[in-house]
Amino acid sequence: MRGGSGLLAAVLAAAWLLVYLVTQVLVAPPLDVAATLAAGLVVSTVVVLGYPSALRGPRAPAGRTARVPRRRSDPRGMRDGLTIAAAGRSVPLRNGLTPDAARRTAQLLKPLLGGDAVAITDTEQVLAFVGPGADHHPVGGALQTRVARVALGKGRTVVVHARDGIGCPEPDCPLRTAVVAPLAVGERVVGTLKVYRTHDEPPPRVLVDDMASMLSLHLELAEMDRERHLAADARLDALRAQINPHFLFNILNTIASKSRTDPDEARQLLLRLSDFFRYAVRQDGHFAEFSQEYFFVRTYVSLEQARFGDRLKVRYDIDPQVLTTRVPVLVIQPLVENAVKHGVADSVTGGTVHLRARVDPLTRTTSIRVSDDGVGMAPDVLDRLLAGTRSPAPGPGAQHSGVGLGNISQRLDALFGDRYTFDVASTPGGGTTVDLRIPLR
Amino acid sequence: MDDDVTPRDTVAEVDATFRTLRRVAVGYFVVFVLGVAAFPVLSLTLDWWSSARLVGGMSPGFLVAAFGLYVFFAVLGLAAARLSSAVEHRMLGDTPTADDDLFLDDGRVP
Repeated sequence: MRGGSGLLAAVLAAAWLLVYLVTQVLVAPPLDVAATLAAGLVVSTVVVLGYPSALRGPRAPAGRTARVPRRRSDPRGMRDGLTIAAAGRSVPLRNGLTPDAARRTAQLLKPLLGGDAVAITDTEQVLAFVGPGADHHPVGGALQTRVARVALGKGRTVVVHARDGIGCPEPDCPLRTAVVAPLAVGERVVGTLKVYRTHDEPPPRVLVDDMASMLSLHLELAEMDRERHLAADARLDALRAQINPHFLFNILNTIASKSRTDPDEARQLLLRLSDFFRYAVRQDGHFAEFSQEYFFVRTYVSLEQARFGDRLKVRYDIDPQVLTTRVPVLVIQPLVENAVKHGVADSVTGGTVHLRARVDPLTRTTSIRVSDDGVGMAPDVLDRLLAGTRSPAPGPGAQHSGVGLGNISQRLDALFGDRYTFDVASTPGGGTTVDLRIPLR
Repeated sequence: MDDDVTPRDTVAEVDATFRTLRRVAVGYFVVFVLGVAAFPVLSLTLDWWSSARLVGGMSPGFLVAAFGLYVFFAVLGLAAARLSSAVEHRMLGDTPTADDDLFLDDGRVP
């Protein structure tokens, strides 16, 4: 269970147990069933509603909050009654072709493939070897057998019927027959699956071939996972790098101006500017506590307020429970920035940006709304922002290049799949409202 | 000129913190009122509350009046104070994770 749901369930179970003990077991006479149920429901409601603030527990210090992905159960524990389909689903190679994953995969597959020894290699070295012959086929050692090089070179399964065909340089090697199947990611051969026997009957080729295809599929999925994570990281990096240089120039000009008329405020602004860039470059994960994102937002807003003066007003409406939830980094500030750039900046009389954040304990969601009462956006500008593209023409229209909402949407896709909603509504002259609902973390 | 520059919170930030703290206070006050009001309501509507015997021959109502309410007040007060303090800490002033050794001499982030 994710997001502390397990803890909540445990607390609820303990509450119901306590209610049961107090009203039914430890008391004479026991309470009516209906009254007991009512008491349990009251206690459950209090626990569920109070959970986000009272029962979330102490948070880990900054820098130690990254969760270690939960390991799957040891596949060796499934050996009793293990089927090929079950083995296929639990292949550790799903995380990539690493020595540890290869060792666990080889141990998992050895009883299934009808061989006395199973080895997994990449294109250069032995990653795992289980069974007789492991003494002179060391893990981490270079490929010794000729048959492995043949399978890697041709990209085809090779069956060896005699000891000489294996080509092991060790004269006392007990391995006599083998089937070596290549492991491929797409068209690229990345390793081999080798099944050996110590007698003259080679292992079943079709079985080894099918298992190698299954392992290749897992490796391909692992590669796709890696690329997906890299893409998500790249999108975050792009957003970090997207801090508008115009924003920096404008703030520096404002500070230069204030340094003559109001040195104290100029120094305050420099501190805020320092905080702003410090936060943007320091975030190394995909999530941060809401309070930190809130700090980033108010730092940005205070800088913009120095430039816009009374034309830019802001109103924060923050639920106390939302402060400790974890939200995607660099998501709220771009929304506020868009509200300032596209809503308030173009309005002669200015406007108010409203940031509202709530936690819904019953649906376990965090909702964030950024709205403004500025000039609103024309449909084409909104479409361009959602697509994450820049204005095609330089000049006045270029100010609408802004921060791509498309970038944010793609990152949310990568982080939450379909478990979030992201709605943007804007009417020219009527302001813009962005609603974001994400799972509570 | 004084070189110590302490960041000042803006009016909007202080206003937001005040409203959030007010929400905390109102929420806990409602819980307090409900908790206290539940005692006479249960005494009037549920015979079991006064006539049953729990431990030491004491009724649930007596036990709550003798011990439970004090525990309830203490827990509620501590929770309200803790949450209010956390809200103020998170909504005002500098970021909790800020530190000074942020850049190496060559400008890189450590």
